[in-house]
Amino acid sequence: MTRYIVRRVLWGAALLVIVSAVVFVIFYLLPTADPAKLRVGRNPNPALIAQIREQLHLNDPVYVQFWEYMKGVFFHFDFGQSYVSQAPVREIIVDRLPATALLVSGAVVIWLAMGLPVGIVSAIKRRSLMDRTMMVTSLALISAPVFWLGLVALYLFAEDVGVIQIFPGQGSYIGAESFAAKCWSMFLPWVVLAAATAAIYARYMRSSMIETMAEDYIRTARAKGLRERDVVVRHGVRSAITPIVTLLGLDIGLLLAGNAILTESVFNIPGIGHQIVLSIRRSDLPMIQGIVLFGAFFIIIFNLIVDIIYAYLDPRVRYQ
Amino acid sequence: MRLKWLRLALPLAVLLALVFAFTSCGDDDDEGGGGGGGGASGSTGIPEEFAAPTAAPDDAQKGGNLTLISEGDIDYIDPGAAYYQVTYTIDFGIFRQLVSWPPDATEDPAPDLAEDDPEISDDNKTITFRIQDGISYSPPLEDREVTTADIKYAIERSLMPGVANGYTTTYMKDIVGMDEAIKASEENKTVAPDISGIETPDDKTIVFHLDRTSVEGVLGALSLPVSSPVPEDYAKEFDAESPSTYGDHAVFTGPYMIENDDKGNLTGYSPGKEIKIVRNPSWDPETDFRPAYLDSITMQQGFSDPTSAAKKVLEGSAQVTFDFPPSPTVIQEVAQGGKYDASQMSVTPSGGNRYIALNTQEKPFDDINIRKAVIAGSDRTALRNTRGGELIGPVANHYIPPLIPGFEEAGGLEAPEGLDYLANEDGDPALAAEYMKKAGFESGKCEGSECRITMVGDDSPPGRDTATVFNDQLEQLGFDVQFQPVEHSLMYTKFCSVPSNQPDVCPNVGFIKDCNDPECFFDIPWYGPSINPDNNSNWGRLDDPEVNKGIEEARLITDPDERAQAYGDLDKLVMSKAAVLPWVFDNDVVVRSPDVDLVINLFNALVDISYTSIRR
Repeated sequence: MTRYIVRRVLWGAALLVIVSAVVFVIFYLLPTADPAKLRVGRNPNPALIAQIREQLHLNDPVYVQFWEYMKGVFFHFDFGQSYVSQAPVREIIVDRLPATALLVSGAVVIWLAMGLPVGIVSAIKRRSLMDRTMMVTSLALISAPVFWLGLVALYLFAEDVGVIQIFPGQGSYIGAESFAAKCWSMFLPWVVLAAATAAIYARYMRSSMIETMAEDYIRTARAKGLRERDVVVRHGVRSAITPIVTLLGLDIGLLLAGNAILTESVFNIPGIGHQIVLSIRRSDLPMIQGIVLFGAFFIIIFNLIVDIIYAYLDPRVRYQ
Repeated sequence: MRLKWLRLALPLAVLLALVFAFTSCGDDDDEGGGGGGGGASGSTGIPEEFAAPTAAPDDAQKGGNLTLISEGDIDYIDPGAAYYQVTYTIDFGIFRQLVSWPPDATEDPAPDLAEDDPEISDDNKTITFRIQDGISYSPPLEDREVTTADIKYAIERSLMPGVANGYTTTYMKDIVGMDEAIKASEENKTVAPDISGIETPDDKTIVFHLDRTSVEGVLGALSLPVSSPVPEDYAKEFDAESPSTYGDHAVFTGPYMIENDDKGNLTGYSPGKEIKIVRNPSWDPETDFRPAYLDSITMQQGFSDPTSAAKKVLEGSAQVTFDFPPSPTVIQEVAQGGKYDASQMSVTPSGGNRYIALNTQEKPFDDINIRKAVIAGSDRTALRNTRGGELIGPVANHYIPPLIPGFEEAGGLEAPEGLDYLANEDGDPALAAEYMKKAGFESGKCEGSECRITMVGDDSPPGRDTATVFNDQLEQLGFDVQFQPVEHSLMYTKFCSVPSNQPDVCPNVGFIKDCNDPECFFDIPWYGPSINPDNNSNWGRLDDPEVNKGIEEARLITDPDERAQAYGDLDKLVMSKAAVLPWVFDNDVVVRSPDVDLVINLFNALVDISYTSIRR
C-alpha cells in the first residue's frame, strides 16, 4: 500500500510539473501581450519598459524563470506575485476559493436533487408523456448557454434589474456578510449553473437506469417477489449510479478549478473562474499559472485520495 | 457499491469543509441621494440635461457609504506608480498633491498641500512652493507631519525600477539633474536617486529648478499622484524591494484612506474584487478645499456586463458606475426619458480622442494626397455610431479635445479653416476622388498592388465595429484591405505600437490626456524623436521637422493665451499633414442611483468621491 501511495504521489507531482511547463510554453510561444508593455502605460520610454521587465524578472531566461517558480511552489508553497496587482497569487486564490466552493456546492446539491430523480422517473416511465416532457426540457436546458441563461435569470428575477424582483442580483455576493446572506445571494447562480448540468445528469441517469433495469438480476429480484420500489432503489439505482459518480467527481474538480467562468462572470461572483478570466485578459502569467496549478493539484489530490481509499477497500487494486 | 457512494460523498464533504473554512465577510451597500450643483457643457456639444454636475448641492449631507461599481481594478495603489484615470479618481480622495483639481477646474489646479499658488521666477525656470502646516499622515503615522522632503522623496523614488512611474521622465525631464538621477537609478536600483534640481531649504519649502522654461508641463505633472508625499524613513524598507511593496503599506494624506490595520498593512484592498475606503482620522478639513461628505466608499469590481451593471445603479442597488460606460441601449433608454430621470446620467468630455492612424512611412500612405483622400472619403458620423452615437461625443474635426487649452483656437467643434478634407463629417466622395486623382489615380480610386493594404484592429465590439465600418469605407475608395482583428492589448503591443511590425492602418487608437495642458497631447504622439521601436504612440509615425520644431517651441511658452494659440496652431499644422483621421472626442458617461448627489470632476471626467454625497 505504501508503495502504491508513494507511486501515486510522485506521479501527481510529476504531472504538476508537466502542467506548469505546458502553461509556460503556451505563454511564451503563443502571441500573448508582453506583460512589461502592458504595465508601462502610454509612456513610450524604452528605459521604462526595461525597468519593468527587470522588475518582473522577465529578462531572466525562460528556464531560470521556470526553475525559480517551481522552487517556490514545491519548497515554499509560494505561487509568486501577480504581475498586475503584485499581490501574492496564493493569497488571491485563497481569497477567491470560498466563493467558488459555495457556488459549486450549492449547484451540486441542486443538480443532483433535480437530475437524478428526473432520470430515474424517466427511465421507469419510459416513453410516457412525463418521460418525453422531461427529456425535451432537459435537451432545452442543455442547449441553453449558461451566460444566456444567467442574463435571462437576472433580467427576470434579480431584485434590482428583474421584472419580478425576488432574488439577489449581480454582485450581491460581495456585499453579503453572513453565511446565510451569502447563500441567499447565490440562489440564482446555483440554479443557473445547476440547470444545464442537471439536465445532463438526468439523461445519463435515464440511459444508465434503462440499461440496468434490463439486466437479468433485476428480473430475478422481481421474480423473488421484491417490492418494485426496492427493486428500483436497492438494485437498479445503486448499480446505475456508477457512471454518475465518476462524472460527479470530475465535474466538481473542474468547477473548483475555475470552470464556472461564465456563471461567475455573469453574476460577478469573485471566484476562481472569474479571476482566471481577468488574468488571461491581462497576461498575468503568475496568476494563470497559479490557478491552473491549483486546479490540477486539486484534481490530482482528490483522485489520489479516492484511489487510495479505493485501493484500501478493494484489494484487487493493489495488485494491478 | 459503497465505494461508488464514497466517490459521491467525498467531493461534497471536501466542498462543505472548504465553504465553512473559507467563507468570510463582505460589505454593506446602503443609502443614496439626488442630483446637484453646477454643470459643464459649454462648447462641448453635450446637451444641458446631461451636463456633468461639478458642485455639491447646498444641502449636501454628510455620512453614508457610496458603492462604485466597476469592471476592472485600479493599476497601482502606490501613488508613485499610478498611471490610470480610474486610479487617479481614487488617489485624489486618499492622497494630496502639491496642487490638485477641484471638480470644476479645467485650466489651472488649485493649491492643495501648497498653502498658495507657486512662486515662479521671472526667467520661468524656478518654481517655489510653500506647504501648509498641520497636515499629517494616516495611522500608523498619525503623529508624523508632512514635510517637503517627503514630496522630494516621492518624486525621486518614482525613478526607481521598483516603482517605475510612467510620466515623471516625460513631463519633469527639464528639472535640473534629472538625467543624472535617471542614470543613478539604473546603477543603484533600490535606492531613490537624488534629483539635484529639487531643493528643500526647510520643512515647508520646496524649490524646483528647471533647465528650460517648461513650467507648465512640470506644474501639470505636480498635480498628478507622483507629488503625493511619501515619508522616506517609513517607505525605505518597502522601496528596497523590487517591485516596491510600499503600495501594500501606503500612508494617506487625503480625507479618505484605504482601510488598514494598526501596522499599516492595507486590509481594505482585495485585488480584482473590492476596495474599501474609509475616513482618514488624521485629515484636518481646515487645511483642505474638499468637503468630504461620505463616510466610506466601496469600489466593487468585476461587473462585466455593462447593461445589467448600469441598470443596477439606475435602480438604486449600487450608486455610481465607475470605469465602464453604460451600454448604448442603457444610454438611449435614459436619454429617451420615461423610466429613469435624465439627471441620473451625466456626460463629460473625457479629455481624449479616438482616431485612425495611417502609416506615413510606407506605401501607399507615404503619399499625402492618398491620406487626404481617405480622410475626405470617410464618414466619421458612421464611425461614431459604432460606439453609441451623439452622446458618446462630438465628431472630431481636429486633434485637441474640448476643455483643453488650444481646442477653441484649433477650431472648436468645427474643422480647421483651409483643410477641406476634414470639412464634411459624413464624408465627401467627390473630394476623395479629386485627391486620388492628384495622387495619380485617374479613376479617382486607388488601384494596383500598392492599394493592397493591411489593417490590424480590435477583435471585439465596439472597436471591431469601428474597424469593420472603416474597412468598408476604404474598400469604397478602391483599397484591398487585409483586416486582421486581434485582442485590444495585442493590437498595441504586437502591431500598432511596434513600427517594425506596423500595419498600414490602425483603426482603434486614441489618446487621453495626462494633464490639462496641451503639451500632454503632443510630446508623446506627435514628436518625431519620440518614435520608439517598442510601445510607440506616434501611430502615424510622423516625423516632420516643422511639427517637431513647433512642439519644441510651444512647450516653452508661459503666457496662457499665447500658449493656447500656439497649440491651436500646432493642432492645425498636425492636421495639415493628414497622418491621422480623428473621428470622435470621447465623452465619459456616468450613471447614478436616484439617491446620490453626484459630482463629476472635470479633470478626470469621473465621479469625485470627495464631493459626492448621499441623500439620507
